[in-house]
Amino acid sequence: MQYMVEASGLVKTYKRPDGTEIEAVKGISLNIQKGEIFSLLGPNGAGKTTTISMISGLIKPSKGDAKIGGYSITKEAIAAKRLMGVVPQEIALYPELSARRNLEFFGQLYGLNGKELGKRVDEVLEFIDLSDRQKDRVDTFSGGMKRRVNIGVGLLHRPQLVYMDEPTVGIDPQSRRRILDTVFKLRDEYNMTVLYTTHLMEEAQELSNRVAIIDHGQIIALGTQGELTQQVGEEDRLLFKVGTQTIADALLKNVETTVESVTRALYDAPSQTTDNGGETIPGMITVFAKRGRKALPHVIRVLNEADIEISSVEVREPDLEAVFLHLTGRALRD
Amino acid sequence: MRNILTITLNDLRVFFADMGNVAGLVVLPVVLTLILGIATGGGGDNTVRLRVDFLDLDNTPESAQVLESLRNTNASLYFCPVDDGEETNCRLEDDETLTLELAQQRVRDGISEALIVIPAGYAEKLQTFEPVAIDYYSLADAVSGDIVLTALDAAVLEVNGAIVAAQVGVQIGDNFDPESDTPIFEDDATRAEFSQKVYDRATTYLAQQPLTIQYVVNQEVVENEISAATAGFGQSVPGQGSTFVMFTVMGGLFILIRERKQATLQRLVIMPITRAEILAGKALTYFTLGMIQYMIVFIVGVFSGMDFGDAPFAIFLTMVAFVVCIAALTFALATRISTEGQANGVSLLLSMTLAPLGGAWWPIEITPPIMQTIAQISPVYWAMSGFKEVIFYQGTLTDVLVPVGVLLAAAVVLFWIGVRGFKYG
Repeated sequence: MQYMVEASGLVKTYKRPDGTEIEAVKGISLNIQKGEIFSLLGPNGAGKTTTISMISGLIKPSKGDAKIGGYSITKEAIAAKRLMGVVPQEIALYPELSARRNLEFFGQLYGLNGKELGKRVDEVLEFIDLSDRQKDRVDTFSGGMKRRVNIGVGLLHRPQLVYMDEPTVGIDPQSRRRILDTVFKLRDEYNMTVLYTTHLMEEAQELSNRVAIIDHGQIIALGTQGELTQQVGEEDRLLFKVGTQTIADALLKNVETTVESVTRALYDAPSQTTDNGGETIPGMITVFAKRGRKALPHVIRVLNEADIEISSVEVREPDLEAVFLHLTGRALRD
Repeated sequence: MRNILTITLNDLRVFFADMGNVAGLVVLPVVLTLILGIATGGGGDNTVRLRVDFLDLDNTPESAQVLESLRNTNASLYFCPVDDGEETNCRLEDDETLTLELAQQRVRDGISEALIVIPAGYAEKLQTFEPVAIDYYSLADAVSGDIVLTALDAAVLEVNGAIVAAQVGVQIGDNFDPESDTPIFEDDATRAEFSQKVYDRATTYLAQQPLTIQYVVNQEVVENEISAATAGFGQSVPGQGSTFVMFTVMGGLFILIRERKQATLQRLVIMPITRAEILAGKALTYFTLGMIQYMIVFIVGVFSGMDFGDAPFAIFLTMVAFVVCIAALTFALATRISTEGQANGVSLLLSMTLAPLGGAWWPIEITPPIMQTIAQISPVYWAMSGFKEVIFYQGTLTDVLVPVGVLLAAAVVLFWIGVRGFKYG
């Protein structure tokens, strides 16, 4: 089978100011089939953007290589780049120029000109639903509209492969929904291959044919959603939000030993997010149980006996979040 | 090449989309050039003339000959009070006579560039081959460049040559009998002996310097007025042009940092174009903006009736070399600058120091010799040297080759630093 992307042994090492080295990506290998949506899922700082930057030719790998449609990104960069459209995480546009001017400029660098350029720009404007605002300066657009233009630039030359690096960061739910629908459209209507990075489990779950879970610069699991959830067995997860209370290890041990079907209990302490003005994420107890709904009242009883105030309870069936938790012992969040 | 031009055109479009940039490129430079040009003597006198006081206490054809030699040596000098007129204003009141004391005070006040005094009895002493000295008064240091002194030197050399020839001739004549049929030289050996004698005597007399300049430095400066000779649009146009070229081109540093921040630079890297094309596109943008800036300021000079000399290509070449050098400096700085604040600070700091240091805001000739030496680290100094050669001294392409060479050599080094360490993200 010929793959759209073949990455082998990608390593990226950076030098710290003190002269020591840090390995941001530690030997990632993956193959992406033509026409599939492939997601790189992992928490912030896991190495997703560094990996996609190496595959797209933005940064040079310290070791390893990636082939795009058979062309090496290190040795045949221009040929490889012609096959790909990149949608970076940042809004990489000229805010002083109109949406149309931005598209025309990048289209010219993709080798388009004359009537062909005008036709493609019109098509893309229609695709991203901004034909009526094409002459407005980008700095007058909403966040979601800018994201759509950002995506449009990557589609101008009808690439075989589209990279999307966390394209839904910082936008409203309506715009996010529109972008996710666009991704499906690219695969289903235009037969494009999509490499999508996200730290949101729901997005990876909804979009992807296959998912690679990445943490600390390494792929820790790769497969379809079904294949991955099999790794954690049939266990449900019971999620208890417990605010800022301190949870002792002894209490978790008590839950594991006294409640039938519970296999494991973990605690994530409260934390501060870096975005949205430093919001506090409440502490969370996660209990793995083979029959979650049956174990639920018993777990609540044990927690009540320990005077733990529960602010909310949720029962989740096996998903990618569970896989990440199972493999790393940490929740997939900031 | 197509990609390079596409990048440059887009950058220019982005630059001109901001009306603040347009104002900075046109309004401020034009206004400042006009103000400084008019304030420092600008007007339509496009050839810069140096006002020199010439006090002839001898009033003989020989002393008049010195004045004639001075005029022939440097046409940009005019002499007061003899040349007093509308275009060559000596700044003397109608009933005012130029005395030695007044002339000395005028030099101290900076009204005249220098004072040359031909002493009484000058012609007589020349005729009897007695030593005689022309007094020369100037604010300039004797070891620094002084174009009036250079002209006087040349005139004195001319007079000395004539005196020596006359003296040798007289001595030959003393022993020559025109009535005799006998040839002066009996044989070749006599001829050779005579030739050697003339040579030896001429050498001796030239060494004695019958006519010398007595250099008097006016130490007591009352008020140092900028000389009209080195001021006006001839100074303000290239000076302000170079200053604003630095502002504009080094402003590219801010644009570059912003492109990094808004990730458009990274987006260019992932396009199917080479990194060399990206850098060349950016460099061409800075070059174009720098040349536009120079053109805008020089157009002010054209409308002000300024004389650009006889070598427009030499001026153009100096402009190109300076803009290339500043563009290279911008690239070199970009390797170390990471925030927009730093970019603004550094470009402002360098523009505001290198421009005046290099003689863009005032004639470098009025600064102390040590400053003139230090000034050579500024690219502006070399650009101004090139411009002045053509505008003030009627220089040609050959005369600007040194400053242009220095600027281009600096550009090569700075580009090398900039390209090697260029950061895209």
